Amino acid sequence: MINHIVFIFIFLLGFYAILVKKSLIKMVIGLNIMEGAIFYWFIAITDRGGIIPIVQSTQVAFNLNDPIPQALILTGIVIGASTSAFLLTLIIELNKFTDSTNPDQLGGIIED
Amino acid sequence: MSRIKHISIVIILAFLGLIMLLDLNKIPNQFEYANSIYHHITNNAVGETGSLNFVTAILYDYRAYDSMGESTIIFGAVSGIVLLLSRKTLPVSSHGLSFIVKRTYGMLTPFIFLFSVYIIAHGHLSPGGGFQGGVILGAISIIFSIVYGSEFDYKRYTPTTKTLLETSGALLFIGIGLIGIIYSGSFLSNLNILNSEPGSLLSAGSIPFINLGIGFKIGAGLAIIFYSMIQKTFKEEASL
Repeated sequence: MINHIVFIFIFLLGFYAILVKKSLIKMVIGLNIMEGAIFYWFIAITDRGGIIPIVQSTQVAFNLNDPIPQALILTGIVIGASTSAFLLTLIIELNKFTDSTNPDQLGGIIED
Repeated sequence: MSRIKHISIVIILAFLGLIMLLDLNKIPNQFEYANSIYHHITNNAVGETGSLNFVTAILYDYRAYDSMGESTIIFGAVSGIVLLLSRKTLPVSSHGLSFIVKRTYGMLTPFIFLFSVYIIAHGHLSPGGGFQGGVILGAISIIFSIVYGSEFDYKRYTPTTKTLLETSGALLFIGIGLIGIIYSGSFLSNLNILNSEPGSLLSAGSIPFINLGIGFKIGAGLAIIFYSMIQKTFKEEASL
């Protein structure tokens, strides 16, 4: 229950940043906050209260946490970093043409 | 006007959060099934792959094909960024920080490199792996640019070297996959002939080599991304 509340709060905080902020870079930061909320929630709800899924020897240890969500989230983190880098590059290119990262000012400049 | 807009957005988001909370409460707290894949992996992963780190065993053995697609996404992002920010000549850059910082970082660089190689090479034994160690490897190039100036980074760790490292990492990954076809008939199957006692450095079949390829690929890819971005920034500052 507390995991869901924290997840929804952080997720909607990032969504609020995307809706309200007047800078494209801050909107990318909001997108990253939403990603972070999803990663946190996915790890938290699959928590078994065990130890990290690394064993010391070939003996089977029990009460390990589930390694599959951790592997999936590792994939998600890498893809999130790639998309963030690409979005920031697009903003750099946009800033070269318009000298602004405000999405409200883009339309008028393109009309010129 | 702006205040009314903000308040209405907050109210709409609060309703959205309430609906999400009502839906998420339907998720069961425990995911317990008798024959789930969790039990298979925790019971058999050491015997099947030789890796003590189960996350690494999943990433580079059970779903190694997916990890290859993941590294292809990194490659796509690097390609797009270099295409957008391509620049032929080296711009005038800053000359870095003070003498003390330069000497201190000069002493620290070998240890940072050693740490990244340790994280990459012990990916199947301890927390870490190719992606994590590769990020530290990419950070070396970033601190080169900040501490010594991007001209030093360009001369000592040229874009050609970075491209070569990234391509060789990808080719190592795909080459191990092709050897898997010859060895046991399926792409990226674990080369069990390289197995030894679990817990030693060269133990988990092809997993350490895939880690090495991924590590160099990610490190060089992040260095290329940072170099492309910083190059553009310095050019704009110089033109002002």
